[in-house]
Amino acid sequence: MSGRLVYASAKGPGVWVTDGPWLLANIEDGTGLLRHRGRFPAVQEVSASELATAAESVALRGRGGAGFPFATKLRAVAERHGPREVVVNVSEGEPASYKDAALALTRPHLILDGALLAALAVKAGRIHVVLPGEHQKVRAVMEKAIAERASDPVRWETRTATSRFVAGQAQAVLQLLTGKENLPVTAWEPEAFSGLFGRPTLLSNAETYANLAMAWHFGTAGFASVGLPDEPGTMLMTLAGESATPMVVEVPFGTPWERILGRAVLERPVLLGGFHGAWVPGGVLSGHVVSRVEAQELGFSLGAGIVLPLMQGACPLRETARIVRYLAEQSAQRCGPCMFGLPALAEAVSALARGRDTSKRVLQLTGQLPGRGACAHPDGTVRLVVSLMRNFHDEVTAHAEGHCTFSESHRPQAVTA
Amino acid sequence: MNSTRRLRVDWPNCEARGLCFELLPERIKLDEWGYPIITGDIPKELLADAQEAVRACPKLAIRLVKAPKAS
Ligand code: SF4
Ligand code: SF4
Repeated sequence: MSGRLVYASAKGPGVWVTDGPWLLANIEDGTGLLRHRGRFPAVQEVSASELATAAESVALRGRGGAGFPFATKLRAVAERHGPREVVVNVSEGEPASYKDAALALTRPHLILDGALLAALAVKAGRIHVVLPGEHQKVRAVMEKAIAERASDPVRWETRTATSRFVAGQAQAVLQLLTGKENLPVTAWEPEAFSGLFGRPTLLSNAETYANLAMAWHFGTAGFASVGLPDEPGTMLMTLAGESATPMVVEVPFGTPWERILGRAVLERPVLLGGFHGAWVPGGVLSGHVVSRVEAQELGFSLGAGIVLPLMQGACPLRETARIVRYLAEQSAQRCGPCMFGLPALAEAVSALARGRDTSKRVLQLTGQLPGRGACAHPDGTVRLVVSLMRNFHDEVTAHAEGHCTFSESHRPQAVTA
Repeated sequence: MNSTRRLRVDWPNCEARGLCFELLPERIKLDEWGYPIITGDIPKELLADAQEAVRACPKLAIRLVKAPKAS
């Protein structure tokens, strides 16, 4: 697949973005408001029930990874009394995800139109936009787009998240906006009931708001032109692995996986959903299409659309060990089970990769860590490891016997534990 | 209010002192680092003991909340 390099970062390789059929259509227009208004009329007053109906009619779900129905969230916020807040999360927690960055770099006004609609619907006077700490260019494009919207009937406020894994998590974002450290805290109530400053808060990610704008502008008929009947529209996906530069593609629901990854790559294991995602064994996706429902039936989740095929000749045990070590380092070091449990888990998985059968210890830790932190970092890490244990059991045995079937150069030291 | 109660730990505040475990071993055990593991919801018979454990936590790091209805 070819695309355009929309962002070359000083530190990293940047990201490639291809034109898409829906959100990413006409990205050659550039990011200015004038060209945007040529295709999308200015946002008008809208009631919460009208907007919720529009979101529902296209089955809009949150695109941060959890996939919660947007209309339900919108109604919950609108039903509460008192001042309400709207937050746009452009900071992706997952380091492997670039899709919100890519969207912000190409269609900033689509995201902002969606957020404005939401603010008008719940009668919020201001909109908080949380920008990624790790992408200077994304911040610049979003700030510039916001500066063009001085005549909007809301106040736009921006904040920059710190560049760490858990900084994009909902509670961490709310902490940041209240001027505290950008780290998760325990949520006793959903943010739709009691979020920013204890107010009902509509917090969603950039891709969700962009889809909301599309739902408003084009309605069911527009959405019906892309995707599946029950899952209209598209999903932004970050593909990485083969080249150093991640690529963001817009994929209509119903697209065969062969078209996205190619037949040969599909024969390899794919890490789906990013570092908090799960391994899908080689060949499982062949013959299937991109669909939330189909993914669920196969026993995995599309998450925030991160697709990481295992590189040719790489060992899934070693890869997983590397990721879990990284995730353990990313713990905010505040919740005991996460602070002590993740390094212990990283150690146990690394031992597996070295050829020691520590399965028992791994399973003990994966059994006891979920649900025991202020955020889902332990749960996400456990999900990854559980998928390794489930799908690569034979490989664990092979390693304990001193060989790796994926990588010829990798020679585990068989150790009888 | 007959609904079942559930213990929830405010993890960033919990310091693994283990007092909650001492007062409610029926529903709390400790992991190898001394942090609580909640082993089940709180039925009526254990409510008083659970409230005692909540009050005893020196960090006010454990609470009783309504258990979400099974869906
Ligand atoms: S669970 Fe881990 S990452 Fe999340 S807030 Fe607690 S220590 Fe931080
Ligand atoms: S008593 Fe409080 S601080 Fe101690 S382990 Fe229990 S919850 Fe944590």
